[in-house]
Amino acid sequence: MPLLLRTHYKLARTAIKEHRTRSFLTCLGIAIGVASIILILSLMGSISNLVKSEISDLGNDLMVVRPNSTKDTVTDIIDELTTSNSFQKSTLSVSDVSTIAKTEGVAAVAPIAVSVNTVGSEKNTLSSTPVLGTNLDFIKIEQLPLRFGAFLNEKNEEKSVVLGHTLSLALFNTINSTVGKTVTIMGEKFMVVGVLDEINKSISFDNIDFDNTLIMDVESLGQITGSTQIQQINIKAANTDGMAELADKLTKALVEQKHGDSNFKIIYGDEITHPASSLFNIISGMLTTVAAISLVVGGIGVMNIMLVSVAERNREIGIRKAVGASSRNILMQFLFESLILSFSGSVMGLLLGYTLAFLLSTITPFAPYISWEIIAITFLTTIVVGILFGIYPAIKAASRNPIESLKHYR
Amino acid sequence: MSENIIIELKGLTKRYGYGDTESFALKDFDLTIKRGEFIMIMGPSGCGKTTLLDIIGLLDRATHGDYYLNGENVAAIPARRQARLRAKKIGFVFQNFNLIEDLPIIENVALPLVYTGYTKTSRLKHASSVLKRFNLEEKEYYLPYQLSGGQQQRVSIARAIVGSPEIILADEPTGNLDSRASFAVMEELKNIHKEGNTIIMVTHNPALTVYATRVIHMLDGQIDTDVKTVADANLPQPVSVKIKKHKPEINLPSDDGKHKSKKRKKSRRKH
Repeated sequence: MPLLLRTHYKLARTAIKEHRTRSFLTCLGIAIGVASIILILSLMGSISNLVKSEISDLGNDLMVVRPNSTKDTVTDIIDELTTSNSFQKSTLSVSDVSTIAKTEGVAAVAPIAVSVNTVGSEKNTLSSTPVLGTNLDFIKIEQLPLRFGAFLNEKNEEKSVVLGHTLSLALFNTINSTVGKTVTIMGEKFMVVGVLDEINKSISFDNIDFDNTLIMDVESLGQITGSTQIQQINIKAANTDGMAELADKLTKALVEQKHGDSNFKIIYGDEITHPASSLFNIISGMLTTVAAISLVVGGIGVMNIMLVSVAERNREIGIRKAVGASSRNILMQFLFESLILSFSGSVMGLLLGYTLAFLLSTITPFAPYISWEIIAITFLTTIVVGILFGIYPAIKAASRNPIESLKHYR
Repeated sequence: MSENIIIELKGLTKRYGYGDTESFALKDFDLTIKRGEFIMIMGPSGCGKTTLLDIIGLLDRATHGDYYLNGENVAAIPARRQARLRAKKIGFVFQNFNLIEDLPIIENVALPLVYTGYTKTSRLKHASSVLKRFNLEEKEYYLPYQLSGGQQQRVSIARAIVGSPEIILADEPTGNLDSRASFAVMEELKNIHKEGNTIIMVTHNPALTVYATRVIHMLDGQIDTDVKTVADANLPQPVSVKIKKHKPEINLPSDDGKHKSKKRKKSRRKH
């Protein structure tokens, strides 16, 4: 039997070689599908790698509290996509922050409450500017480089804000003399006490682009917006040992504080690297779906060309059957052909995808991410596509009546 | 039942269509064929000759009736083993040669061996030795269209006998050939018959009946006349055709084999 398989493989290879252009175009269809999947997986991989490296910079004493995703239904997802704030349904509150702060073993705790507001200055007014509400501990957990001025501290806590580098440029057309000027948020005036240095890191575990963000005290933010939605609470542990016990302790304290509501999760270590936004997951899922559709289209191309091949080689099938090929032999011969097509297509796609990922990495911060999982998924998909779209033409070839096939030319 | 009976057809009926369009290609057809017979089947077009060959060659099934091949009822043989039987016991020769255009001559000849478990090298060796017998060793790597009709038909006969089958079925093998090529083809068939093969051949040419040991005239799916020209006792019996179960026996001295492979390369270069 293995001998016969090798024969089938050789036959299929000869048949493909005879129609170079046609086979190449078919492979190209598969290749484009595979390449887009590779590209997307590689991008997603490099994004979580970016976050991972950020976490390792911050040290492994970081712990994060996030609300459990309540986005289970399609309407919730659509709701999330159509509203600008992706954490509308957060269950975390300011009192949770103080509960955590009181817990033993916690060195620092800072809430992350992002809302989108219109921010005005003497020169410009910017709508939909992300405003981060946090507290003084924030800087202890995550070191942000300051260009001018100071971060929020006990002296200037109220009525003062820190601007991101890009935001400062957008509001005042400068970064040099921004400190001391006032900005207006919902009619309230705030003084700029500091300007951040350029960070140029659009992806972080906080899900915040600091270059574009206005940072202020969480309670002041609560006062002007009316309610505070805390999307995440960052915790710095006092020591790195016993992170699991600390997490347990915090969970217990929070559940008690929230009267039994356990709709949150405490994560630390590598788990944080999963990007915070479920929006990210939805978008990457949708992109993968689109890529998968293009792979299906490529598969249909394989099926189409195999059907043509079967029709063209009607007589050959008849001859082979007459001299002793069983239906199974014919089936295998054509199945091998479609497998070879989809296999070479996916090898092409693998190369193409990584070439694109590499080109993309030259203009974006996303380094191409190669892992054996991605390659394994690719080849598995290949086999599935090859069999799925090759089986029908192969069955069609195998079920040809040899007499009919030969009669056409008699 | 005599051991020498290779094919036995009993009440074979093949019907096409139903009701008003019903027609019979074969009607209650009885025939017993002994090992070593060279049968010519003649008759007007549409009398069921080709259908008969297709059924004997296991390509088609009768509507009613029994077909015993070597004493075994064919209806009970599963499709996969029927395919193996076609590869090992039956050789087909067609009027229009039916060679695969994209394959060189030698691979066309080796085609039946693909399905009987030979390695590629032994397939080609075997096919080469058969082609040599037909004086076509120079053309091994030619494509079918590069040969004349007579040569192509000899190639297809080579393909039919490469697996050392017991039965050769020829459907008007000389129908597309001029008289000279016909003669060459018939001489080859005669030689194969002498080695003890059973040959069943359909023809329209009455002049060829001199080669046969039995001539059957068919009319409307039934036997019209059945004339034996050679007594059963004088039929050639298979002596030299002895096949080992798996590998073919190629009686070539080793240096001869080297010589052959060299020759093959040379012809490829020429091509």
